[in-house]
Amino acid sequence: MDELTKTLHMQFGYASFRPGQREVAEDVLAGRDVLAMLPTGSGKSLCYQLPAYLLQGSVLIVSPLVSLMEDQVEQLRRRGEKRVIAFHSLLDAEEKWQALASLAKFRFIYASPEMLQSAKFLTALRRVCISLFVVDEAHCISQWGYDFRPDFLKLGEIRRTLGAPPCLALTATAPPEVQEDIIRTLGMDGARRHIYSVDRPNIALRVEHCSSTEDKAARLADYAKRLEGPGIIYFSSRQWAEEMARRLEQRGVGRVAYYHAGMDGEQRLLVQQQFFYGQLDIVCCTSAFGMGVNKENVRFVLHFHMPAQLEAYVQEIGRAGRDGAPSLAVLFYADGDRAIAQAMAEAELLSPRELREWCRRLPEGAGWEAVMAALETAGFTDIQKRLLAYFLEREQRAMPGWLTAEAKERLYGKMAAAIEARRRWKRKKLQEMDEWVHLSSCRRQALVRAFGEELTDRRNVCCDRCGLSLDGYERAVRRPEAAPVRHWREELWDMFFGGGRTNEAAK
Amino acid sequence: MRHGYASFLLAHCLRRFNGERTLAAAYHLFSGKKSAQTLQDSKWFQLEPLFGTWKNVTMTALEAAAAALVEQRLALSAKQRTYTLTAAGEEWFVGQAALFPRHLNGWRYHEAEPLFWQRLSLIGQTLSNLVYGRRFAPICRDERTLQWVKQYLLAKGSRQMLAEALYQELIRLLEAVSEEAAAIFTLRLTSAVRIGWTMEQIAAHLQKDALYVQFQFRNVLHYIMAEAEAGRAPMMAELMSGLTPAVLTQSAQKTYEWLRKGKTVEDIAKLRRLKRSTIEDHVVEIAANVPGFSIAPFVDDEKAAAIRAAAQALRTRKLKEIREALDGKVSYFEIRLVLAKEVGRWTS
Repeated sequence: MDELTKTLHMQFGYASFRPGQREVAEDVLAGRDVLAMLPTGSGKSLCYQLPAYLLQGSVLIVSPLVSLMEDQVEQLRRRGEKRVIAFHSLLDAEEKWQALASLAKFRFIYASPEMLQSAKFLTALRRVCISLFVVDEAHCISQWGYDFRPDFLKLGEIRRTLGAPPCLALTATAPPEVQEDIIRTLGMDGARRHIYSVDRPNIALRVEHCSSTEDKAARLADYAKRLEGPGIIYFSSRQWAEEMARRLEQRGVGRVAYYHAGMDGEQRLLVQQQFFYGQLDIVCCTSAFGMGVNKENVRFVLHFHMPAQLEAYVQEIGRAGRDGAPSLAVLFYADGDRAIAQAMAEAELLSPRELREWCRRLPEGAGWEAVMAALETAGFTDIQKRLLAYFLEREQRAMPGWLTAEAKERLYGKMAAAIEARRRWKRKKLQEMDEWVHLSSCRRQALVRAFGEELTDRRNVCCDRCGLSLDGYERAVRRPEAAPVRHWREELWDMFFGGGRTNEAAK
Repeated sequence: MRHGYASFLLAHCLRRFNGERTLAAAYHLFSGKKSAQTLQDSKWFQLEPLFGTWKNVTMTALEAAAAALVEQRLALSAKQRTYTLTAAGEEWFVGQAALFPRHLNGWRYHEAEPLFWQRLSLIGQTLSNLVYGRRFAPICRDERTLQWVKQYLLAKGSRQMLAEALYQELIRLLEAVSEEAAAIFTLRLTSAVRIGWTMEQIAAHLQKDALYVQFQFRNVLHYIMAEAEAGRAPMMAELMSGLTPAVLTQSAQKTYEWLRKGKTVEDIAKLRRLKRSTIEDHVVEIAANVPGFSIAPFVDDEKAAAIRAAAQALRTRKLKEIREALDGKVSYFEIRLVLAKEVGRWTS
């Protein structure tokens, strides 16, 4: 047994690698820069977690979402890893600065991009030997990635500040142009690319064309009732997620809950864990649910609303069938859905009128700081602000020291053009999604082509266009009834004394 | 329930406000706003139990609750966003009085409560899983709590005994509340065999208003915290360590320290680079909360007596009315100080 496999067995308890893991880990250990695109659910994080045990020094992992970071940290800890720490905005300030003093003792240092903006944090990092710089969800770097985060753009510079340690960029969904963006931004020319197909052969694809929203709701409920669970149902609005969860529950579909970013942290974690431990059959949710939900046996993913682009769709259906067993993805479509997706996608973009109004109100003769301050107080949404700040920073160099009327006009022109370009790109993406929905040929073929691939062989089970029977996905036996709730004394007894002993004291 | 629990809670506030405050005051009370005005309101109208007990309340929710009361003719809208209960409303409210969570003490516990609950639920989950010999994902993600619970369990030694002790203590505490409240609280707990239920899941199960369930839960939590502070629940007292609520806000505490060193309001404003009015807010907060704090250096006795007399004669706590009655010869700061002291006397 070679050292890599030995470490895999010792640290992670696996006997063998999943496709791609060994190849990526070997290149990382050889000190190369690596761009790895591995499909969702293929064990991406192992690609840096395994080398971390064979490298000297610490591994720095940049991750876009606090919840994602927390999940990773929690999983590492559960495995017994103590040398792991995460830095993000939700951490207590005092705690953070305390940990900075002893940073070098950690094997895994997770950080959010905004923490990396902190000079204090960077100074502390510079004293640490960073043997690997990992960018998780690296597609967030690209303006043309489906989850663009302007914060990520500075990562190239930050990597240089830290002495340009070897870099591993990980993503599940990056079409060729996004891959180029990642490599350029992170300054990893000559990187080894490990690109694995986005295709997940065990997930069958299907689109249901419906006549109206109510028709969609009725047919979705039918599916939910018939299909073998557990399953996830995606909605583009919180209201629909809640409403449908209620309807499904009333129809006796099973144990259903909803999940969205409007709920408080504790309630969200409860739903996530209930689902993980099989206390729930179905979660009705927005796109907030999923990242970090490491449930192996999700049997179906349904979409009540179509996402605004194929990348998002691939990412979301990828949460099904991580165990490799046959799973099903169904998208429900009705007229008008395209407009809903477009409105959602373009919510981050100001209209030309709003932009002109904002530019007009900028104080003349003021400097750059005043422009950024005006952005804060303009009453835009966070996502609008993020995007505008990014465009503004791009234009900063072209700006004179202070704002003249002419400079304001020029700034408006450039910003309007940037926003328009983004709008056109979003429409193109939506068009691609829409075409996929209305496709008459093989859906799998079209899906992989969007990522610049070709299907090499035909699957036995593929999609509705190739012929798909739902028999194999239907529930064989009735869903188990929810465990009955007993008297609170007995519940409490079970909690601490468990099976085997009789509940004398509680009687 | 014919009326949502929000209407019930609001009716409670309206009764106490007696037309002297708008819905906005109720909003700030529930959300636990740390402004001098809201802090005093909750004292004056004896609404301390509700302070900060509904953090995600919205103005829309309160407006809907008020509209429901008006529609049922239980309340009247006197002027913009000010409501009073009607005779029917009064009768209805008294009939439902049992719905009020009687252990609720938001004033004292609203800040400590989230951390206390995190500790309690995580220790429960941890001990349960140790007993069952299972690995688990913690039900809490707060680093402070994770560290605290780890230290606590390491220091405690025998897990089996600790589980036994926690069980006994919880049984004893829950026996003192209603069966329903005990059931709600137990369902919220996470064990090795069951992840805790959300408020909504419990509400659906009991066929009750989710807000009602939330307040019942909080009621039990505050009861447990009070028992811990009274020395009647040793393990809960340990869980409270470091969480015992401060009487004053941090900033007011600093002002208090300067006052005791003999500095004047002016001095402190300069020293702390704060507005005079902010320091005045602190002084009022101190007067209301620190027994034995004398307001004599800030209001002379004659004025204080006049303010007291005016407040009693007018049967009001409206600053403006009192000031007008005294021909504007007293400042708002002086009135607030006197009233703050008065309330202290009435409630203690």
